[in-house]
Amino acid sequence: MRTLFLVSIGLFGGFWLGTTATYAADEELVIFDWSAYNDPGFYQGYIEQHGDEPTFSFFGEEEEAFQKLRVGFEADISHPCSQSVSKWHEAGLLDPLQIDRIERWDQVNETMKEAFKIDGEYYLLPADWGTTALAYRADLVPEEDIQSLQVFVDPKYAGKVSIADNVDDAYALAYLATGVSDWTTVTESDLERASAWLREAHKNVRDYWQDGAGLSQLMASGEVLIAWAWNETPVVMQSEGHDVRMNRLTKEGSSTWFCGYVDLANGPNDDSKVYDFFNAWFEPRSVEYIVNEWGYGHGNQAEMDKLGSDILVEMGLGPINVPVLAQKPMNHTIREQMIAEFELIKAGF
Amino acid sequence: MNFSFIQKIRGESGLILVSPPFFYALLLLAFPLMGVFALSFWTQDYLELNRDFTLDNYREAWTGAIYQALMLRSLKISILVTLLTVVLAFPVAYYISFHVSPKKKPLWIFLITIPFWTSYLIRIFLWKVILGFNGVINGSLIGIGLIDEPLKFLLFNQGAIVVTLSHAWIPFAILPIYVALEKIDRSLLEASEDLGDGPVRRFMRVTLPLAMPGIIAATLIVFIPTIGDYVTPKLVGGPNGLLIANMIEVQFKKANNAPLGAALALSAMFVVSTIAMVFLWFNRKYLKQGQ
Repeated sequence: MRTLFLVSIGLFGGFWLGTTATYAADEELVIFDWSAYNDPGFYQGYIEQHGDEPTFSFFGEEEEAFQKLRVGFEADISHPCSQSVSKWHEAGLLDPLQIDRIERWDQVNETMKEAFKIDGEYYLLPADWGTTALAYRADLVPEEDIQSLQVFVDPKYAGKVSIADNVDDAYALAYLATGVSDWTTVTESDLERASAWLREAHKNVRDYWQDGAGLSQLMASGEVLIAWAWNETPVVMQSEGHDVRMNRLTKEGSSTWFCGYVDLANGPNDDSKVYDFFNAWFEPRSVEYIVNEWGYGHGNQAEMDKLGSDILVEMGLGPINVPVLAQKPMNHTIREQMIAEFELIKAGF
Repeated sequence: MNFSFIQKIRGESGLILVSPPFFYALLLLAFPLMGVFALSFWTQDYLELNRDFTLDNYREAWTGAIYQALMLRSLKISILVTLLTVVLAFPVAYYISFHVSPKKKPLWIFLITIPFWTSYLIRIFLWKVILGFNGVINGSLIGIGLIDEPLKFLLFNQGAIVVTLSHAWIPFAILPIYVALEKIDRSLLEASEDLGDGPVRRFMRVTLPLAMPGIIAATLIVFIPTIGDYVTPKLVGGPNGLLIANMIEVQFKKANNAPLGAALALSAMFVVSTIAMVFLWFNRKYLKQGQ
């Protein structure tokens, strides 16, 4: 009897241990990152210095990451995007960056790093960024149709349009289309106009895309001809032989998003390796790698400039002379209204 | 084989055997549920929880037009999935129980479980491949010249959710129905034939009533969990396919309103339990037979 009891306890305990064991690399640095960011091309310098990769744990989206950290998951570094940083900071998850330990701090993009200066301290090391703009099937859509973002509400493209299932990108589109290119100063009436526009666009939407691969499938088959997409989508699809192009130069403009690394306050290890990792990320070779292999921009502005404009334009990352809505942190009351409205719009209200 | 060992430990030791799983279930199901229950009476302002008692979340969950619409849509889809699943599962279970030779039955049961060998996500993506714009169905129809343009009503709507979910849940419906059919004493069927019933009357008066416990189990097993599914609608539902579970997720995460999410979750649970209870009550006569 007691044996049976012990056996069943043992079985349960065994399952428990079996599922929590970690297959760690270097356990002295734990990174909580987007899946697929454990690409050694980004931090080759760290591997050379320590002889091993850091330990990675992954999240699929930032809110999931936030909830996990809030209930006590311990990691040293994480990778939120611009809209989450202030939320994470207010929840007490972040330590300020010790900028004197970041070797190339003066090369970091000025606008991006200053956007996260809170009470004189910096909290985000802007690492990767990209553009969100109008992507289209160049073989099926005539040039004159894609000169304006109003194509998203054009009945001609009903059922042939896809918008990101992501409140920030979707509203970046709606604000631009209604003439707003800086959302840090939006008012209630701007929000109302943007929502009304998005409601119109909803009628044309075939599907709200969840990830780049899903969007690529929609566009490759010709089911979707016009999309509000990240610049990686045309880059990837062209390499697969599809004639998908991006027009960042619509008269209303396009948007940029950015993400970066933060030093988490509850990290299990001391900070020495954290800064080794940051410094490896900001080496010139990492910059070159992320631009060429991923089609993303890098937060190291000085090295980006050195790459030359040809490659940046090819990847959809070059400078442009139409409005650009940078997805900087915004007023969280307005953002919560955007989130609620976006759900209403998607549900058909 | 000697079963006296098992006989001996039945009784009080059975309790001991069952207690670790029981406490495990209590720990991981009952306590979190109590947490959700408590949460649903609080409010949240951005990151701060306010623990003053309020019924506002329930008021919003039951009167907000969007929540009513999503709840009704979820119910409609769950009911359709359940109907389709049970109707499709019954003939399969019947065939295995009555027409497959006893030697081959384990093989058939095994074949039915094959879909579980792949992840649910992969099965959803396969449905996207089948139903898609340049998918298997459209490709074949264009190939044989029946249509010129790909059909667009196959994917990204509520119908696609019903098809995908039904496929995912059908083994859960086949197995209980099969078990119920297996338990039917074959001499009862002979008796009804001897008394003059034809195949249809025999089925309606003997087989179907005796299979009801299995059909009821299948209905509940499919109906109750499908209402909480949020992955399928996200991937195949398209612009009009969001369900109540997607809204619950949004409230807990982006909308910073976990209390409303909790109230919605408990409301959905309440609605589903009520429907399940009513369904059981209507079928009560079939469930007494075993006693």
